[in-house]
Amino acid sequence: MTIFLASVGFGLVTASVLAVAAVGFTLQFGVTDVLNLAYGAVMIAGAFLAYVINQAGVNVWIGLVVAVVACSAGSVLLNSGVYSPFQRRGASPITMVIVSLGMTLIIEFGVQAIAGGTSVSYTLSEGPSVHAGGLVLTTVQLVVIGLSIVVMAGTHVLLRYTRLGKAMRATAANKSLARNCGIRTSRVITITWALTGALCGLAGVIFAIDAGSFDATATDLFLIMILAAVFLGGPGQAYGAMLGAVVIGLATEISAAYITPSYKYVVAFVVLLAMLGVRPAGLLGATP
Amino acid sequence: MNSYYIINLLIYAAVDAMACLGLNQQFGIAGITNFGFIIFQAAGGYAAAILALPDQSANGAFQTYIGGWNLPFPIPWIGAAVVGGVIALPFTFLVGRRLRGDFAAVGLLVTAVLLNLLVQNYRPLLNGDAGLSLIPQPLQGVYNNQTSGYQWTLTAGAILVCGAVFWFVRRITASPYGRSLRAMRDNDAVADSLGKNLISLRAAMLVTGGAIAGLSGGILVSYITTWSPAAWGYAETVVLFAAVIIGGAGNHVGAVLGAILVPVGFEEVTRYIPTSNNLPPNLIPSLEWVAIGLLIVIFLWVRPQGILPERKRVIGIARAQSASARAAPAAAGPTPDGAASAPLVVAAPDAAAPAPPPVPVGRPRTPLAPGPSPVVLEAVNVSREFGGVRAVIDVSFGVRRGTLTGLIGPNGAGKSTLLAMLAGTLRVSSGHVYYQANDITGLPAYRRARLGLVRTFQLASEFKRLTVMENLLSAVPGNRGDSFRGALAGRRYWRGDESASIARAEALLERFGLDGLANSYAGDLSGGQRRLVEIMRALMAEPQVLLLDEPMAGVHPNLARRIGNELVALCAEGLTVLMVEHELAIMDEFCDPVVAMAEGAVLAEGTMAELRSRTEVVEAYLVG
Repeated sequence: MTIFLASVGFGLVTASVLAVAAVGFTLQFGVTDVLNLAYGAVMIAGAFLAYVINQAGVNVWIGLVVAVVACSAGSVLLNSGVYSPFQRRGASPITMVIVSLGMTLIIEFGVQAIAGGTSVSYTLSEGPSVHAGGLVLTTVQLVVIGLSIVVMAGTHVLLRYTRLGKAMRATAANKSLARNCGIRTSRVITITWALTGALCGLAGVIFAIDAGSFDATATDLFLIMILAAVFLGGPGQAYGAMLGAVVIGLATEISAAYITPSYKYVVAFVVLLAMLGVRPAGLLGATP
Repeated sequence: MNSYYIINLLIYAAVDAMACLGLNQQFGIAGITNFGFIIFQAAGGYAAAILALPDQSANGAFQTYIGGWNLPFPIPWIGAAVVGGVIALPFTFLVGRRLRGDFAAVGLLVTAVLLNLLVQNYRPLLNGDAGLSLIPQPLQGVYNNQTSGYQWTLTAGAILVCGAVFWFVRRITASPYGRSLRAMRDNDAVADSLGKNLISLRAAMLVTGGAIAGLSGGILVSYITTWSPAAWGYAETVVLFAAVIIGGAGNHVGAVLGAILVPVGFEEVTRYIPTSNNLPPNLIPSLEWVAIGLLIVIFLWVRPQGILPERKRVIGIARAQSASARAAPAAAGPTPDGAASAPLVVAAPDAAAPAPPPVPVGRPRTPLAPGPSPVVLEAVNVSREFGGVRAVIDVSFGVRRGTLTGLIGPNGAGKSTLLAMLAGTLRVSSGHVYYQANDITGLPAYRRARLGLVRTFQLASEFKRLTVMENLLSAVPGNRGDSFRGALAGRRYWRGDESASIARAEALLERFGLDGLANSYAGDLSGGQRRLVEIMRALMAEPQVLLLDEPMAGVHPNLARRIGNELVALCAEGLTVLMVEHELAIMDEFCDPVVAMAEGAVLAEGTMAELRSRTEVVEAYLVG
């Protein structure tokens, strides 16, 4: 029972990290139409940036803010420098996904070239543990969960109640129609890259905090979980990604308590393949 | 020493070239983006290893693995190819008909990442992370594998197998079957509508590529004598993709060139970089990966067709002109108006022609209303919804044999949706479709096309990287070379069918005045010319019922009238046409009867003159 509760605790933290990452990924794909496999690489770049700042003796939470800003700017650059030119030339979705895989190698191994191949950890105090109904969570873990809840609430407000959110949803649904209705889609897309890049940076740092130690290739497997969460809810569906993150986060961590932890990704993988094969529009997506 | 280095290089070149040929067959020819390609090389490597290795206890028992059958050469190599192919088959469910190509690619990528993780962590099966070592080389007990003579022979064997693979993929690609694969690559929905079974084509190429990859893995393993998860990380697939893209996707020589430039080149380059200096460990390998990523992105931007682009396949007219031998098309002759004198469509049956092939499925059905000619295509209570939007609501109507039936209606009336449901491109939400008195509601589009129910598309749908001639030939049903086995049987086996199709295509091209463009890429034509190519291609499919979605859109009025005249002539010979068109002058002149749709329902049916007298039709469409 304690193992179960402990794994539920881990699951909540993982789900929180995953939710931030998956909502960013799914909005990015939905609005910009780029299946950006380099998302995980940008995450880890942000995590390493925070690490460099942390090593200089600065609080990791300040590093987090810097990483969020840097990943936001980096994602805008990634789009304007690479993806957008390809899209303007009429590149097929297949070409785009190959380009994004190329960018994954460039960013991920660029980070590794600079940082070396070893695992690193942040210097931060875990804070006093908090007991709640059998769950034991550290203060840092609670902060991660809290941050995630704030992001989810913010996403909800953005999509439901703001002009920008409505413009994003319109662009995602039909880009040319949105443009004909007077929405400046190219600006909406740039803002989307900035927002989702920020989420990506945030996800990278809290992923690194949660993981304890990380290296440049650490997000290779985490990307499977992100994709599983995204496809479970339906690609492009922000609420679907939230649901997917909770399901995948809890499922992987609880399964890890009972099987060898290195197999915990199998759950995410099976869910992803099943969704791709049977219902690629996701649980919350429209029926084909 | 020196010869060892050359042997090493040659073996890696042969193995990488094979892998690139396999990947090119999937990606460059058939358009399957297999991001998990390395899985199949890995499977072949492991298969060859456990077939060749002796039982684990007899091998020092320092590694654990299944199998250990100690089988002699060439069984490990054969086993490698078989296992690579068999393991590829289940992935058909990802690359089958429904899933977007980029989603399928992601699924395969993720599979590669996860399988690597599983093999690393599960030791009993294949010795986990440490991998297998001391794998016996071919005929190691018979010959001394320490001699350079042995190693040279092995090298020659690898190159020979690579040559055989090259011959094999060339033979497939040069055949009508290869043309179908390339048509599917350029536009899979259209290939489907022309009778190509996408699932079967993709499964065949998955298995073919998988077997080639497996064989390459088996050969590599029998040379390096070890195999571990570190050798087949997901990123190795990206290296092969880089090789194919740089060499030239769709070109077999390009794939070999790419293999020599990228994987082999990188092996060689890194060999000369000093490693013992002050450089941090991992720096050089990391930068190599960065370079691979840069190569892919830069090449896709600067020269997406690669160093050696796919070769244009010149067929028919150009050769005929140079030889000034025009015997076959001369029979058709340039007859501007008297279309009836020279039948364009061989299969369109008239009263005297043999009966159409029997429809194999569905319950028999008698035509509802007796009339001048029987109903060949009928929709009964057909509806289609798109997430709550009802595009077609409870539509029933029939198309009579030999008529040129028009379908008009304002934008959003559901005309294209109805056409798509008749052709099988879209499934009906409810209702039934009958063709030649058989229920075909459940048949997929390619099966309907094979029964003679062929459609064209509203948007340009030519196969861009096929020539006009190839576009036409791709639609011909029943070519003996249009199957995997027929392709392997070679040119001699299918040459007869091919020449007959070429003669038909040439006659058709001349008829529509496009013979000068026969060997131009369809993607380079003007909008109007592409429409023509599409109509000709549909006629080449030997249709009995032809569904045309705005065939005259963007076509010069004179040419549109000529197309109309040709269609009328074909209908007189027994072809049935259902045509969506906005140009009412066309409807007035050629179509009888005309069906008017609005808001998802059929409003009226009759001649244009009759429709003009119906107020509801006039209100819905003709005015405003």
